[in-house]
Amino acid sequence: MRAPAGLRRLLPLLAVLALLGAANAAVLRAVGVTTDMAGFLPPPRSEASAFLLRELRTGAATTLLLVGIEGAPVPELARLSRALGEALRASGRFAFVGNGTEGIAEAEQELLFRHRYLLSPAVTPALFETPALRARLEALLDGLRGAASPLLARIGFADPVGAFVELLRAWTAGSTVALRAGVWFADPPPSGTGERALLIARTAATGLDTEAQREAVAALRAAFAAAEPAPGARLLVSGPGVFAAEAAAAIRADLAMISALSAALLAAFLLWRFRTPLMLLLAAVPLAAGVLAGATAVAAAFGEIHGAALGFGMTMLGVTADYPILLVTQRRPGESLAETARRVWPTLRLASLAAAAGLTAMVLSDVPGLAQLGLFAALGLPTSALVTRLLLPRLVPPAAGIEARALPPPLARALLALPRRRGVAWALLAGAALYLVAIGGPPAEDDLAALSPVPAAQRALDGELRRQLGAPDVGVLVALAAPTAEAALQGAERIGEALAPLVARGALGGLDLPSRYLPSERTQRARQAALPDAATLRARLAAAAAGLPFRPTAFDRFLADVEASRTLPPLTRADLAGGEAGSLLAARLAPLLAPLPDGRGWQALAVPNDLREPEALRAALAALRLPGLLVVEAKAETQALVDAATRQALLWCGVGAAIVLGLLAAGLGGPAAALRTAAPLAGAVLLTLAGLALLGERFALFHLVSLLLLAGVGMDYALFVARSAGEPVEERARALGSVVHCTLTTLLTFGLLAFCATPVLRAIGLTVAIGTACAAALAATLVPAARAPS
Amino acid sequence: MPRRRSCCAALILAALARAARAEAPLEALMRAFAAIRASRAAFVEEKEMPELDRPLLSRGTLSWQAPDRLEKRTTAPIEEVLRVEGDLLTLERPLQGTRQVLSLDRSPEIRPLVEAIRATLAGDLAALRRHYAVAFEGDPAGRWTLVLTPLSGRVLAAVQRVALTGRGAAILGVESQHGGGFTRMRIEPAR
Repeated sequence: MRAPAGLRRLLPLLAVLALLGAANAAVLRAVGVTTDMAGFLPPPRSEASAFLLRELRTGAATTLLLVGIEGAPVPELARLSRALGEALRASGRFAFVGNGTEGIAEAEQELLFRHRYLLSPAVTPALFETPALRARLEALLDGLRGAASPLLARIGFADPVGAFVELLRAWTAGSTVALRAGVWFADPPPSGTGERALLIARTAATGLDTEAQREAVAALRAAFAAAEPAPGARLLVSGPGVFAAEAAAAIRADLAMISALSAALLAAFLLWRFRTPLMLLLAAVPLAAGVLAGATAVAAAFGEIHGAALGFGMTMLGVTADYPILLVTQRRPGESLAETARRVWPTLRLASLAAAAGLTAMVLSDVPGLAQLGLFAALGLPTSALVTRLLLPRLVPPAAGIEARALPPPLARALLALPRRRGVAWALLAGAALYLVAIGGPPAEDDLAALSPVPAAQRALDGELRRQLGAPDVGVLVALAAPTAEAALQGAERIGEALAPLVARGALGGLDLPSRYLPSERTQRARQAALPDAATLRARLAAAAAGLPFRPTAFDRFLADVEASRTLPPLTRADLAGGEAGSLLAARLAPLLAPLPDGRGWQALAVPNDLREPEALRAALAALRLPGLLVVEAKAETQALVDAATRQALLWCGVGAAIVLGLLAAGLGGPAAALRTAAPLAGAVLLTLAGLALLGERFALFHLVSLLLLAGVGMDYALFVARSAGEPVEERARALGSVVHCTLTTLLTFGLLAFCATPVLRAIGLTVAIGTACAAALAATLVPAARAPS
Repeated sequence: MPRRRSCCAALILAALARAARAEAPLEALMRAFAAIRASRAAFVEEKEMPELDRPLLSRGTLSWQAPDRLEKRTTAPIEEVLRVEGDLLTLERPLQGTRQVLSLDRSPEIRPLVEAIRATLAGDLAALRRHYAVAFEGDPAGRWTLVLTPLSGRVLAAVQRVALTGRGAAILGVESQHGGGFTRMRIEPAR
């Protein structure tokens, strides 16, 4: 009969928990959770950063999938690559799939061949003069003697000037992959893993469509499995779509592992210390209530929640798991929980308001992620405190003798004796400060990639595949905005001309331009104008062929095609839309020439490859004086954005700290008391920064967010220990016991994240682990001297 | 109907036997080729094209190294080295300083010409049959003719027929018909 009765007494608590859980799930389901990293970047302030943000979110690069296949002999890898290529092309999910086997379709070849004298860069007036024709005819004859004659005979007579061959050569120039067994291979093969077949695919869906990206990656993996790879053959996939999926999977795996471990350890710890499972349930109530309040407020204000804001927000609300523990451990013998709640309320209220105030300032930030975080904390923390004060005492069954074991006497004695060692603490703090000054402040993370939750190994693979595929390192991008596609293409041609001398002298490895695939109408018309009329060409050709064994009719098709080309309408982007005929050309053009959002015209991209002299590039482009031309150094520009985001966060933290000090001064009766209470907290932050720097961590936004959690936690410790100063020794021991219990709980939850592989989670874990330990120790050591017993 | 069944069986057996007889000399020839690990020869090639009013002549050497390396070195009037090894085809023009490497899979117009000679030299009937319908006439030990008709429509558009003639395990001539033109190669095995 005891168990059911016990359960019945727990019913209100369980019901409240179930209700909160269901409400949280409902809110999160109803509101979209976004995962766009740009949400944690400030709004663009320059044309360059606006361009970069747009490219980061919707640019062609976001639809790219880079694929490697390794772990088998070359023929098997080639077979797999071919099977994969066919399956992907057949799936309809991809705008372009390249692995070396993509032949140009018959219809497209025909289209290109028909337009060869308009599209080919070889076409100049001189090409159709007798001397050039003579040289070409001799070369043709020479070629016909050789082994490639069947191939040459097919197009050589229709195009003796080689315009078509030159057109195809211009398309494939700059390719860095090696062709083995008919497909692309990494050249040289990556060390250690043997040969690697390469494939590149561009999804038909945009990068913003994360679901379609996920499906495309799934289709890729399924196609690989369906090709029945030999044992040992591995598929390596990279690209933004994969990043999103893998990052989510990595975080999920990390969290599943850590939360299972942490739940087990925490349950064991609380069970040991409080001798009842009740404590675990109690600890969850204020946290769940705080998350619900915070998430609802953010959803109402912003219409969506950023995934990272939610994650960080819950991390920061982690401090509220301490509230029930503080409540229970502060209870004096014979006191009811409601009485305790009433007694500690001023301190708890001050602690939670101060923690919330420190974060609330961020609401004013124009970085959406930070603003959401601020709002989340501003509502979540006080809600948790209120729930602890008002609801929690009612949920605990009156007869439940929930009470913490006293600290082991030696530990209690050691903790009580800590204030006598404050000299050591000050020395340590001075040392940390000196160290930080000596290394020039905490080292800042200067890589935007590190802000993304993608594991470092995946990022390294991405860099490697990119290098092997010759996908350009997007260090510098040249963008050109123009009112029409034609104007954008003309601009691209001028960029190409301006940079040609740099390519020639090796200052620039190569340049990808939309005009390389589709010349502007102006250029096509200029080439038309270079074509001689039929009679002239026939006479010149006859003169050029004198003495050579060509029959008079051999070049009839050439003559007819040149004549037809003189009046052919230029090929435009509109001609490529729809239909199979222009699909490869359109696929190559799409990433380089695209309409700007909101019908603001067109954008052409010039992508330099292996740029050795950025200054020369800038100078050559500046001399063009093209309106709408933008040279963007991606790295510097993103760095500026990240710096701005971090500066903003720091600024709002500073404002928050000032508000906190003001609140403390008001609550504790004077600025001196406020500073004394805040000292352990400031010291903990200092020691944490020094500790992280010693561990080689580079400071990023996550560390800052974790410091905010630390600040909230440390505030409780300092306030509760300071509150007990001057009280009888049992009261002081009780306060220290509270802090020790809270510290260990925090370490067992957030501290365990330090063992995660995901950079974000590890950063939070490390910061919190170092920070809470320091905050607790400093709170116990730097108890305000004025009220400490002599 | 036991009689009809036995009758059918006899017919099938007879057909099989005929097939086996037709196959046997070709297989014998292929075995003879497979036994030769390396060989060298001189060649003279004559190309006729409808666009040209006289044939183009060229000469050079051929060398074969089992299992899959074939080199055709043209020495006059142009210099050119065509080397096939495995799936890779290398075409070098030393005077122009050009060197092209391509995969045979990507060159449907060239591959059958390569395999017609290479697979025969290797004695690889299976490879030959992957690309051609094979018709054999003559005596594997004496004079023989092998007529190869491309199987794929795309190849057939470029090369309609390849005929090899030879004596014993030596190819003496290759004649191919493509478009409106002919290529005839006379081969003189080196002793």
